[in-house]
Amino acid sequence: MTKPGPIEQSGQKNDPYVCASCGNCTLVCPVFRQMRWEPYGPRGKLSITKSILEKESEFNLEFTRKLFLCTLCEHCTTVCTTSIRLDRFWELMREEAKARNLTPAPVKFASESIKRTGDPFSIGRASRLLWAEGMEDIIETRISAKAEVAFFLGCNVSLKHPLHDVARSMIKIMEHAGVEYTLLGEEESCCGAPLLWAGEPEGTPTMVEKNAQALADLGVRKVVFSCPSCASTWISSMHKSSGTSAVRKMELLTASQFINQLIQKGLLAFEEQPMITATYHDPCISARVLGVGKEPRNVIERIPGIYRVEMVSTEEDTRCCGSHALLNMIDPHLSAQIAEMRLRDASVTPASLLVTECPRCEMAFDLATITLGYSVQILDIAQLVANSLSSEEGEGDVQQ
Amino acid sequence: MKIIPQELEDIVGADNVTADDETCRIYSEDAANLPGIAKQIIDNQFDVVAQPVTVKSLQHLLRYAMEHDLPIVPRGNGTSGWGGAIPVKRGLCVSLTQMNQMVHLDDYACTVTVEAGITWRELLMILERMGTTLPVYPSSATAATVGGFVASGGFGIGSAKHGEIGDQVVGIEAVLANGKIVRVGDVVVGPQPDDLHDEATEGTEWLSDKVGGSIRLNEVLSGTYGTLGIITKVTLRTIPKLQLRPFACSFESIADLAKVAQIMIDSALPYHLRYLDNNHTSKLASLIGFPAEWDKFLLAGALHGTIYDNDDGIEAIEKIVSENQGTLLDEKRADFHWDERLYPLRFKRQGPSLVPAEVTTPVDNLPDLHQDTLDRLGNSKFAVEGTIGADGVASYLVWILDDERKKFRYTIGWHRSFDIASLARKHEGHPYAVALWNTRHAKVFYGEDKIAKLKQLKKDVDPRNMLNPVKVFGGRAQTAWHSQLFGFGVGFILTFGLLFFGPSFLGLTRAGDLLTSFPLQFLHVQLIWYLSILGGAVGLLAMKLMTLNQALAMGIPLLRFLDKFLNR
Repeated sequence: MTKPGPIEQSGQKNDPYVCASCGNCTLVCPVFRQMRWEPYGPRGKLSITKSILEKESEFNLEFTRKLFLCTLCEHCTTVCTTSIRLDRFWELMREEAKARNLTPAPVKFASESIKRTGDPFSIGRASRLLWAEGMEDIIETRISAKAEVAFFLGCNVSLKHPLHDVARSMIKIMEHAGVEYTLLGEEESCCGAPLLWAGEPEGTPTMVEKNAQALADLGVRKVVFSCPSCASTWISSMHKSSGTSAVRKMELLTASQFINQLIQKGLLAFEEQPMITATYHDPCISARVLGVGKEPRNVIERIPGIYRVEMVSTEEDTRCCGSHALLNMIDPHLSAQIAEMRLRDASVTPASLLVTECPRCEMAFDLATITLGYSVQILDIAQLVANSLSSEEGEGDVQQ
Repeated sequence: MKIIPQELEDIVGADNVTADDETCRIYSEDAANLPGIAKQIIDNQFDVVAQPVTVKSLQHLLRYAMEHDLPIVPRGNGTSGWGGAIPVKRGLCVSLTQMNQMVHLDDYACTVTVEAGITWRELLMILERMGTTLPVYPSSATAATVGGFVASGGFGIGSAKHGEIGDQVVGIEAVLANGKIVRVGDVVVGPQPDDLHDEATEGTEWLSDKVGGSIRLNEVLSGTYGTLGIITKVTLRTIPKLQLRPFACSFESIADLAKVAQIMIDSALPYHLRYLDNNHTSKLASLIGFPAEWDKFLLAGALHGTIYDNDDGIEAIEKIVSENQGTLLDEKRADFHWDERLYPLRFKRQGPSLVPAEVTTPVDNLPDLHQDTLDRLGNSKFAVEGTIGADGVASYLVWILDDERKKFRYTIGWHRSFDIASLARKHEGHPYAVALWNTRHAKVFYGEDKIAKLKQLKKDVDPRNMLNPVKVFGGRAQTAWHSQLFGFGVGFILTFGLLFFGPSFLGLTRAGDLLTSFPLQFLHVQLIWYLSILGGAVGLLAMKLMTLNQALAMGIPLLRFLDKFLNR
């Protein structure tokens, strides 16, 4: 057994030894909370890694399975006593697994699909505009139009039917606010995040730059993402980007950040809603990586008739929905159990509506409402805002 | 002893048992990075791990273990580093983390009853939503379990006002090594049906008869590391949640810090009081850019009271600090150090490994102990921190930075941990914990009378020393084959050398002739070789029969000698 190469190269080779075994990471790990055995938690996996480095254990299929039973939610990183970048460490270990040809089949499928069809589901570009049904007239004029604002849908929202309304909602919001925007349509490709999760990080910058350059060529200076993981991948790739300065200077926003900006500018007018109690679920990447927690709450607060209550574990302390980092493809059952666990947090609040801003969270929770038998409406923040806009411009409560 | 996992599965359920080698190895570790040599004196990997979810299944597990001579070790989340939850003779690990429910919150009696496996963080989160909080919880609250801390005892957050964790325990439910369920003190289980009531009453009466009022029953289970029984429920005192007002101050010398800490304790001011020495503050990256803290002696804590009391308290602290050459830090920094109370291991990154040592001493003695530590540890990189209790006794925790990858140097450096433990005696203190590694200090730690009674009780409930063996009461180490080979080799060489040179040195010609004779003609082997093999066998037997304390008594001076020899 040789020492894992990517760890050596990354400067994180000390990390398994730096671990203080305090257990903070294990107790917050959504996978450990379900599996209940230490080897599935970060502390246990670090211990196995140390054992591999000491040549006492094998980097085998079983260990690889444990590496991929992880949502890369970064909760372990935020609570680590010795500041180990655990999320990065797991990505490096996945690279090592890839180098040893141990990558699980669903992950291989996702990465090969991205290379083949530009999305991790092997659906193909031809389906990337199916969401626009009913608003073709509006969309046609926006595809590849010159504009300062771009809406980057991401693969889930573009290609998964239950999420198509998220895209339509953002379009409604932009139209309502009079924003000049553009879309890549069928030219949009995966952001490259699944390649990072698959242990193939070398492919990600290419994916990001391809999309970013296409938008830069249209004069785009602000990109709105319907998926926080896309935003996060762009942000981390742009820092290292060799692309043009136009690409590097782009403002990259999640849906809630963008909507919050529109509200601050007084561009959105809302209708009174019929006394709805809502709670907001912070997607891991929004809250822990991008630090977006205040903006979605501000948006919800500004819609008249919506009353916000909080679940336990919010913002940086949020709990994962179980769908991130391809876990929903690798182990759908485990992924669903984690979603149920988080939905239970909502179930003890008086909320009848759960709002979030991540398409994977929405799908996971939507399924969990059925498996858990708990009735709560799940909406993306764009859907909530679009549904609450006044039907005629100038009507409703304009929030300044 | 042969373990049949299927039989354990019948007791606790198939999902709750594993004999997977990797899993057993991970559950065999605690927060300490033991050097390889430790594996020579303890057989430190469990054969099987079980996670019972009910008291009855735990009781059946214990009975099974006793019937099959299977060593059984209770474990919380393994956040301590004193060896209380690691195996010494392989066997069965009982992880209590699945017994993690809150049982009953009694607002009027100001108590909360929980299962042993709940974490302090979870419990605090629930209690604080109900307007109450805990008088004392550990600095490892984010992961430590209630049962683990109660079983080991000691200081925590809140000890400056409320004393040790043992003082906060109202009642404990446990399964004794002999399978009897006991409830000592007042275990408040609330209005729900209590299936264990009759059995627990009978068990408690049995225990009362055995102990006969010579020890408080809580003390049988709190602070004894699960050697007499495995804690299943704990009823703890709660206090109303009032305003928490962090404060922090820094000093140029530990003498000033100790003086201020003593005044604060005498004035019953703080709820929590923690200190860091200048070695510690100079190694924390988060303090760079804060000249009042970097490389200073830091005293941080919090007041817990009404807004008016806290205002008065802060005023008093300001006065005490300024009169003693200290600097009171602003609120923002005080808040930072309060949040850091749960992250005492931040600077381990610079190790990357740590050799820990922890003792207790009266606050007044801190400067002398600190000076002795500096003298003793010489060139070693280390840092000191501690917590101060309501009785003016401070815990004194020394973290010695090292690198476990440099295996030989790391191993020989472990004598420093035991040296600090011994140093405490000179300063009216003792090791902070007995657990596995400090059983030779048990008399000082518990007191001669108490340890004698506990020993007697251990014989009554666990005559074959199967429940958490060797911990607290000591016992025979289970040496690995390398050590046994070493014992054989030493015995063989010593005997051979003695018999080879002895007779000629003493002029015993006939004895020399006898030793070179061939007692068994057909083998053509001289007698001296037979006797040397016998000497080797005696060496091997000595290693097998050696107690852990004897192994440490021989090993620590050897490590110390090697360390000096290599001029660390």
